Amino acid sequence: MFKVLKKLAGKKRNKRPVGSEDTLASQASTKDQSISYQIEDNIKQVKKIFHYPDNKDIKLRECKIGASEKRVAIFFISTITDVRTIEDSAIGPILKNKHPDATIKEMIATQNITHLSTMRDVVQNMNTGNAVIFIEGETSAYAFECANFQGRSVEKAENEVVIKGPKEAFTEKVVVNLSLIRKRIKNEDLMAETVTISTRSKNEVFILYIRNLANEKLVDNIKNRLKNLDVDAIQNLSLLEQYIEERPFSMFPSVLYSERPDRATSFLEDGHIILLMDNSPDSLILPATFWSFFHTSDDHYLRFIFGNFARFIRAGAMFITIFISAIFIAVTTYHSEMIPADLLLAIAGSREKVPFPVFFEILLMEIAFELIREAGLRVPNPMGPTIGIVGALILGQAAVEANIISPIVIIVVALSGLTSFTISDVSLNFALRIIRFIFIFSAGLFGIFGMTSFFVMGIFYLTSLKSFGVPFLAPMSPHYVASGDTIFRRVLKNENLRPGYLKPKDMKKKSDEAVK
Amino acid sequence: MKQNEGKIGIRDYMAIILLTLGSKVSDDTPTLLYKTAKNSAWISMLGIALLSLIPILFLLKVFSVHRNKNLHEINLHLFGKVMGNLISMGVLLLGFSSFVLDTSVYVDIIGSMYFTRTPTLALYILMLVVCGYGAKRGIESIGSAAWLTLFYLKATLFLALIFAFTKGNLKFIFPLWGPGTLEIAKTTGSKLSIFADFYFLGIIAPLVSSFKEFRKGTLWAFAIVVVEITAALIIFVILFDFTSIEVISYPFHETILYLSIGFLSNVESMFLPFWLVAAFIRFSFYLYLVVTLFGGIFKIKEFEYLVPVFIVIVLFLGIMPKNLTYTLPYLREMILGILSPLFFILPILMWGMAKLRGDFKREAEQSH
Repeated sequence: MFKVLKKLAGKKRNKRPVGSEDTLASQASTKDQSISYQIEDNIKQVKKIFHYPDNKDIKLRECKIGASEKRVAIFFISTITDVRTIEDSAIGPILKNKHPDATIKEMIATQNITHLSTMRDVVQNMNTGNAVIFIEGETSAYAFECANFQGRSVEKAENEVVIKGPKEAFTEKVVVNLSLIRKRIKNEDLMAETVTISTRSKNEVFILYIRNLANEKLVDNIKNRLKNLDVDAIQNLSLLEQYIEERPFSMFPSVLYSERPDRATSFLEDGHIILLMDNSPDSLILPATFWSFFHTSDDHYLRFIFGNFARFIRAGAMFITIFISAIFIAVTTYHSEMIPADLLLAIAGSREKVPFPVFFEILLMEIAFELIREAGLRVPNPMGPTIGIVGALILGQAAVEANIISPIVIIVVALSGLTSFTISDVSLNFALRIIRFIFIFSAGLFGIFGMTSFFVMGIFYLTSLKSFGVPFLAPMSPHYVASGDTIFRRVLKNENLRPGYLKPKDMKKKSDEAVK
Repeated sequence: MKQNEGKIGIRDYMAIILLTLGSKVSDDTPTLLYKTAKNSAWISMLGIALLSLIPILFLLKVFSVHRNKNLHEINLHLFGKVMGNLISMGVLLLGFSSFVLDTSVYVDIIGSMYFTRTPTLALYILMLVVCGYGAKRGIESIGSAAWLTLFYLKATLFLALIFAFTKGNLKFIFPLWGPGTLEIAKTTGSKLSIFADFYFLGIIAPLVSSFKEFRKGTLWAFAIVVVEITAALIIFVILFDFTSIEVISYPFHETILYLSIGFLSNVESMFLPFWLVAAFIRFSFYLYLVVTLFGGIFKIKEFEYLVPVFIVIVLFLGIMPKNLTYTLPYLREMILGILSPLFFILPILMWGMAKLRGDFKREAEQSH
């Protein structure tokens, strides 16, 4: 019956055809040519493809080889190449050449030279920042690496701050990010494969995994998923995340997003898979479990007791941020007998002049808090703190004095807002904030009964979630052999197993001798 | 890896049993025992446990030779198509009626003890929606949820019982034999079906990762549950004495009403969410069992889609009886009365049929 309904619903939503011209195909057809014997033809062709000279940063340098007097043309895009390299290693040696028989490979002094036979290769090389050389009387071109894309240098991590441990963060250049990871794993089995994921902008994704640790099926699954994307452009990992996740409407994220190379590395060493991309100062870690969103790298850098203390505080904060407002509503409206008599009188006294029900009061303040938060994020930097002070202090104070809300509500909402900041992961943070509102509504409707109902539904939902085949709450439930790093962590020496839910090729992280 | 798709491990399985059977202390089951066995209800409980062990062991023996079949498939195999289907249908009917009764008991508890002004219908709908959602998520989800919450639920129950114990008077359990051995024996016989859930557990037997774990989990969970219920029965008696416990409908809830911890004088709403979580998981599981059995009998493969239909039926049946406080115990007792002999006889019958058909011999030959 449901299938029929679904079908009916699906048919109604039939896509309207979009009238369009396939410019991509025509763009591709101009490139499907081989390189001509005539250098004039080649130059003309490249000029046409790149719209030279309208395209200002496309450069052409024509010259003759010193000894043989053959004509040479060098094409490159000046904004993404290192012009110095081209001058010193290519143009200079060509002009100064003394031997008439010398081939181009003997003349040019760069780290490598690639032989190109079609226009498609020429275009691709130029687009990635390489310079291309055409020589008179040859049916092939040559490319040498001199790419130099501009970007930020390695800086401190801003969103995932730690007290102890490395401070550097990923940057927008994938080469730098890869080097940050290779700096930590000096192993030839660390694979960095690339997949081109978009048809127009040709964005490349680096898939990182350790070959003799990561599960092959998982790697293949992710590679296939990336290869099957049929999109014009995916600029960065934040967008890619939404293309590859399994449940776009789910409240809970299924891919972990980290800007810390040390964190990415420790996941790689456990058998996870990392995705890196140009233009993304971060990495995607998959598969992800609930616990990976809950943890921070600090938990392991701090000593056993301190790290677990931090975890304990965070777990408590998570509980408070979700439940405190809802509990306040439920207890004051449905279960007032729970509160000790003195406190009850105090609450009632402070609410004497307030005309609204508790539910409305809490909702008002929670929304105000979210407003301050969102506004504080968007205001220009110098004004940020002012907005915070104006919003939090003055607004709250004035609201109490105007008898719109009672002072105890301010305490409750401030507590629930403050504690929400302990979860550093952006996605989980958002999820918790939204869930808080649902709990507020369920508490307003049915008191503790409503809250418990929604809580149990949430638990059922969480236990049925999967991220790339890995249960969301693994290894706690369903149980898997693992190092037991869930709410609390173990002493580092005893964390000697890789997580079983990844089905890694080698379960043991440390030999028995190291443990004893 | 050990974890197979669609199967549950021993932890999840045990957690399910501990929650479903363990939460019987918190509904009206103790009252049914106190009614006839008075203050020695706990002795009759031990008797029930001993007697229940017989059908459970027979069941395990039967399941040991049919490891990939669930209860309905075994029924078909042992009794033939007609009889097998009839038996399964009877079991389904009884299971379904007790599901309806149990849910209305719980809604009655919530409505009469905590939410006196909320309409019963609203409570019932919300509860069934949650359970339906759980049942639709499947056994893995129910098992995981049970395991995740088990510790906290049992810890709070334990806490409540400990506090109740300190308030009680140990002398109230005397005279030890209460109304006399005959009454105790009668209670034992007629309330045997408290553990009839173990018979229904056969429906998910092939979903437990291995038979070894199924057997181990069943027996361990049985032992723990027996200790838990017996302890609770003793504690209720020493807190209220037998004259008042007979008239209390829901002793567990009266107990937590009675308690005060430190500066908190009314703690019942603190125990309420934990008890509710247990109830939700319990009924999700029951609903899953009922729907699975129904799907098995009528050969409906995508039985999850039946859940909404069942919810509506349960809702209509559940709100039908007027004056819940008086009708429910009567109906409950009736169902228990029918189930008790069946629970005892059916497993033995199954074992007998398996013996006649030579299933055990074949198994022995295969293992050689």
